[in-house]
Amino acid sequence: MSVATATTSRSPAAPAAGGRGRHGGRKDRGAQWGGIGFVSPAAIIVALLLYAPFLYTVVLSFTEYDGLNSPQWIGVDNFTRFFDDPALITSVRNTLMWVVGTTVVPVGLGLLVALLSFGVRGGTWLRLPFMLPYALSGAGLGVIWGFILQSGGAANDVLGALGLPGAHTSFLLEEPWNTLSMIVAWTWQQTGVNALLFLVGLQSIPKEPLEAARMDGATGWRLFRHVTWPLLAPLTTVVVGLSLVASLKTFDIVWVMTQGGPGRNSETLAVTMYRDAFVAGEYGYGSAVAMVLTLTTGAITLAYLRRQVRAREELS
Amino acid sequence: MIRRGVLGFLGALWLVPVYLLLVNAFRPSTDFEVSKIWVPDTEIGFFDNVKLAWDAAGLGPSLASTLLYSVASPAIAVVLGAMAGYAIVVLRLRAGFWWFMLLFGGTIFPTQMLLIPLFLGYSSADLYDRRAGLLLVYTAVCVPLAAFVMRNFFTGIAYSIYEAARVDGASVWRIFWRVYLPLAVPALGAVLILEFAFVWNDLLFGLTLSQTDTVRPVMTALSSLSSAYSGSTVPVVLAAGLVMSLPTVLVFLGAQRIFARGLALGQF
Repeated sequence: MSVATATTSRSPAAPAAGGRGRHGGRKDRGAQWGGIGFVSPAAIIVALLLYAPFLYTVVLSFTEYDGLNSPQWIGVDNFTRFFDDPALITSVRNTLMWVVGTTVVPVGLGLLVALLSFGVRGGTWLRLPFMLPYALSGAGLGVIWGFILQSGGAANDVLGALGLPGAHTSFLLEEPWNTLSMIVAWTWQQTGVNALLFLVGLQSIPKEPLEAARMDGATGWRLFRHVTWPLLAPLTTVVVGLSLVASLKTFDIVWVMTQGGPGRNSETLAVTMYRDAFVAGEYGYGSAVAMVLTLTTGAITLAYLRRQVRAREELS
Repeated sequence: MIRRGVLGFLGALWLVPVYLLLVNAFRPSTDFEVSKIWVPDTEIGFFDNVKLAWDAAGLGPSLASTLLYSVASPAIAVVLGAMAGYAIVVLRLRAGFWWFMLLFGGTIFPTQMLLIPLFLGYSSADLYDRRAGLLLVYTAVCVPLAAFVMRNFFTGIAYSIYEAARVDGASVWRIFWRVYLPLAVPALGAVLILEFAFVWNDLLFGLTLSQTDTVRPVMTALSSLSSAYSGSTVPVVLAAGLVMSLPTVLVFLGAQRIFARGLALGQF
């Protein structure tokens, strides 16, 4: 859930409520046993439905399993098989396109919308068109844009009318246009929420540095580049981080618009995983793809956060 | 002002897909032609389109099931999360921080890491394609955020309230139901709304863990309706998409502030 991830990167390390040291001289023994009772239902359901499946996927990724015969341990064969699997290589490439595309375009446009509408009279109304698509589901988004991007459809009409190339491109059928045009659809949806986040950031910027800079004669681009942008940096980290994690797991929109096709050439890792496991019935190999997805997400997020932290340390 | 002009222009651009959606979802199903998508039709075919989609994809039972999932799962999850937060913060559970990390750690697993074992386990436990099965998994996915928010919320409540109630002889359970849970209503409401939207919009769990029209959630139904093999026309698919998106769009527009705050939930 992207919302929850937002909070992880945002909140400071949670203070250890009820951590050690506070327990000295405890009198309320009933409360202690009651505590276990209160925390157990949540802990059990999370352990059973989130932790256990996670661990089992790790185990399955080292096996060959068709769902009928019992899993056969094959070591790292699933992982070495990747290098010979053209579908997986395409999928990794597409996923990287998603990562780059969605961390740059919707974030940039979101920032632009936030800056343009911040402090402007009627800003809430002017922002509304960008907010509307956010509440749409990935499936709803796929339905709308699948219609717009169909061959001879609205996208072709617009490009033709403007005299631009692409009037006869079948966007969803040609590589790499299918992935790129789905990124456009995603941008349409995500810009609003990024704008909202940046707006929250702009509102929390202290007034003094801005005033001071204005007194010194900084305006427009210079004011933004040297004052606003550095002050927004912590929030930019969050917004980019959120986009990063979400883009690596892209599934719904691709599934609804192209089902990863034609010929598997618009698959992302999440789609590849679904297809290998639930269409081809290769649960071991599917688990290995899920592992790669998870490890990639973890590695990229970690690398990104470390870079950000280091950059901020250098500043201070 | 230039800023408003640019913003207005971009906004108009953003509304083009909405316009196309509305125009073509309201077009009678048989009048659809790729060459005339830009012009509204004189006849309104929206309700017939919805009816066609309703029958083709079994939307009625699917909507009822989805409503159950998206209301009941978050509701159960916030109560479980509130109980956990209460145990950790108010009852000062030993190793409370680690319990909290255990619960919140549930958010870091990508869905893809859960699907295969859930599918296999559900198949053997007779939970596959059952409402109870989906209810259970959605609840589990909703618990970590609920626990996170509730733990933070209870941290801000004076401990003396608990002590006073204890001294008065109230049981731990009673204090939870009568004092702490009612106090938490605003925070609970925000979590409920966020999680409602999340469950309503889910496609992947529905796709993996259900099959029949009556059990599968709406987004899964929409996905199969829009696939090339369903034989439904464009206006029918668009009308279905519009109807099924309305609940979250309305909830979202009504509660924009909550969403904005939800994105910064650490502040609760």
